[in-house]
Amino acid sequence: MTTLDVVFVLLGVVAVGAAVLVVTTRQLVHAALWLVVSFGALAGGYLMLTAEFVAWVQVLIYVGAVVVLLLFGIMLTRAPIGRSADLDSGNRWAALAVALATAGVLVTVLVRGFRTAYAPLDVAGQGAAKPLGESVFRIWVLPFEVLSVLLLAALVGAIVLSRREI
Amino acid sequence: MTGSAVLNTVAIGDIQAPHLEYGQLGPMLLVFGVAVLGVLVEALVGRGWRQFIQVPLTFAGLAGAFVWILVLGVKDKPLHVAAEGAVGVDAPTLFLQGTILVLALVSLLLIADRQNGAFTPQASALPGSDAEREGIASGTVQSELYPLMLFAVGGMMLFTAANDLLTMFVALEVMSLPLYIMCGLARRRRLLSQEAAVKYFLLGAFSSAFFLYGTALLYGYAGSVRLSDIATATGNNAGSEPLLLAGIALLSVGLLFKLGAVPFQAWKPDVYQGAPTPVTALMASCTLVAAVGATLRVFYVALENMSWDWRPMMWGVAILTMLVGAIIAITQTDLKRMLAYSSIAHAGFLLTGVIATSQAGLSGTLFYLAAYGFTTIGAFAVITMVRDAGGEAGHLSRWAGLGKRSPVVAGVFAFFLLAFAGIPLTSGFTGKFAVFKAAIDGGATPLVVVGVISSAIAAFFYLRVIVVMFFSEPAADGPAVVTTIPTAAAVALGATVTVVLGVLPQPMLDVAGQAASHLFVR
Repeated sequence: MTTLDVVFVLLGVVAVGAAVLVVTTRQLVHAALWLVVSFGALAGGYLMLTAEFVAWVQVLIYVGAVVVLLLFGIMLTRAPIGRSADLDSGNRWAALAVALATAGVLVTVLVRGFRTAYAPLDVAGQGAAKPLGESVFRIWVLPFEVLSVLLLAALVGAIVLSRREI
Repeated sequence: MTGSAVLNTVAIGDIQAPHLEYGQLGPMLLVFGVAVLGVLVEALVGRGWRQFIQVPLTFAGLAGAFVWILVLGVKDKPLHVAAEGAVGVDAPTLFLQGTILVLALVSLLLIADRQNGAFTPQASALPGSDAEREGIASGTVQSELYPLMLFAVGGMMLFTAANDLLTMFVALEVMSLPLYIMCGLARRRRLLSQEAAVKYFLLGAFSSAFFLYGTALLYGYAGSVRLSDIATATGNNAGSEPLLLAGIALLSVGLLFKLGAVPFQAWKPDVYQGAPTPVTALMASCTLVAAVGATLRVFYVALENMSWDWRPMMWGVAILTMLVGAIIAITQTDLKRMLAYSSIAHAGFLLTGVIATSQAGLSGTLFYLAAYGFTTIGAFAVITMVRDAGGEAGHLSRWAGLGKRSPVVAGVFAFFLLAFAGIPLTSGFTGKFAVFKAAIDGGATPLVVVGVISSAIAAFFYLRVIVVMFFSEPAADGPAVVTTIPTAAAVALGATVTVVLGVLPQPMLDVAGQAASHLFVR
């Protein structure tokens, strides 16, 4: 086991541990902040696999945008900040069972599927922005452009649902 | 390496420009383009004029795209993979896209009918508040509806054409998101409508996640998301089987959800009932065509070598879908809910055509989609016409004796119901005959037996509505029939196509057969 392996496993432990804290903490804001730790550890994992661009996207979009969105959501809906006792749902044992079952299925599938799959990590620049950019703007250009249509539709929809004066 | 050298390595000349076949992507690009134009109209034109510009613009966009598809179908030999392999422009795709466009045009007649008053003047107003009353009094409409509809239709066209799972996922989102919003815009029974929108959104997002996870696992298996590459990989038995099977299962969940197949049907009755009826008509026809089109492509192209693995699963789903749809429909007393369960049963009949995995199965399914789409739009159009003081009279008991007061409307609705039941001389019979025959040829006789049994069960509740309409006494304060020109035109179109495809189905069957003769391009 090399140092890289050890660091990778540690990052994984941090990601899973922070994810558990997200659902067990009794403070809503803390849950959002633990999510930052979990996403950050995941980004570190991507970096270890030399997928540097994906790692930065993870930081920008998940750690940056998604968590900020969550915090704004908490702020705008006037949710209680601080310790609240009613965060635990009565369904939590059922939810735990479902989560464990899902995790079991996924881990089994991934382990059985990729147990013998190895990708060389020493090829420089594999996960850099350049090869990804080239493939996004050449092979995947149509879905990429259509995604902008999706964003426009979402924007129009948000206006339709929220605008007070017509 | 200095900074300038780094910059030089990504000079413009280095990036190879993608090759896009604009002619073949034209219909989709036109629909999206007109949608963007519609957004500009919303931004720049005064409130009073918007509706008068949006409606013709939307009509022109959809009709132009349809003409473009006709030209492509007649002139070109339509067997291409376009846009760097992201989209397959082949004969079945053109047929499906053309069907979607024509059905969208007919639905647009309902959506654009202002006297119909199906849509809320202001979606943000709380139900029962002053703001809502002011909005209704001002008589405005939210004309953003038209660009949203075009976005959805464009997404549907791309969904049927997508040649790789990633494009298919993007198209799935583009088609679903505007529909979620449009579901929440009903004018009457606002809370029901908003509940429908939220339910559809949450369940739809959940099913999209399933679709995406299936895509990821299939990528892990085949090393590519392109349908043809997945087919090659399954043919060579490369990769590991758990990934493949789990991938197929998860992907199927996503697709079957959009189809409304059991056990993923829970959203359909609530959403069909809560959504404004013109939007329900759009979803029941166009979305179903798009969902079946994508399902056909995935199962006929990517998983063609795996049919021994997915057939038992699809058999189970098809049998459950037909039976559950037909049986639960019997207990319904709301007409829109009843038609929703009928639509679930029809999704099951369509799945028998998918399971046949043959040219006949494909052409039968294509014909069935076109026939069912017109009938269902016509039926929902009739529902918008029968109105109480508080909006549409959706409850079955309100329709008692309608045949005595408005024999024409009740007669046309009865005719649509008979077409749903699959009575001969209606398009429903021809469609069912085509898919069932293909399924028998494909060795799925037990499935067809179940199909015929559930058709018989379904006929019971269609006949019950007809009996209520014609053989019971009208109530003193019964609903009024409000006829407006666009809605009447939609009903007439639906009825005409249902008759023509029932009496003279051969030309349409020929077109569908010709479209299916090349199967899907890879």
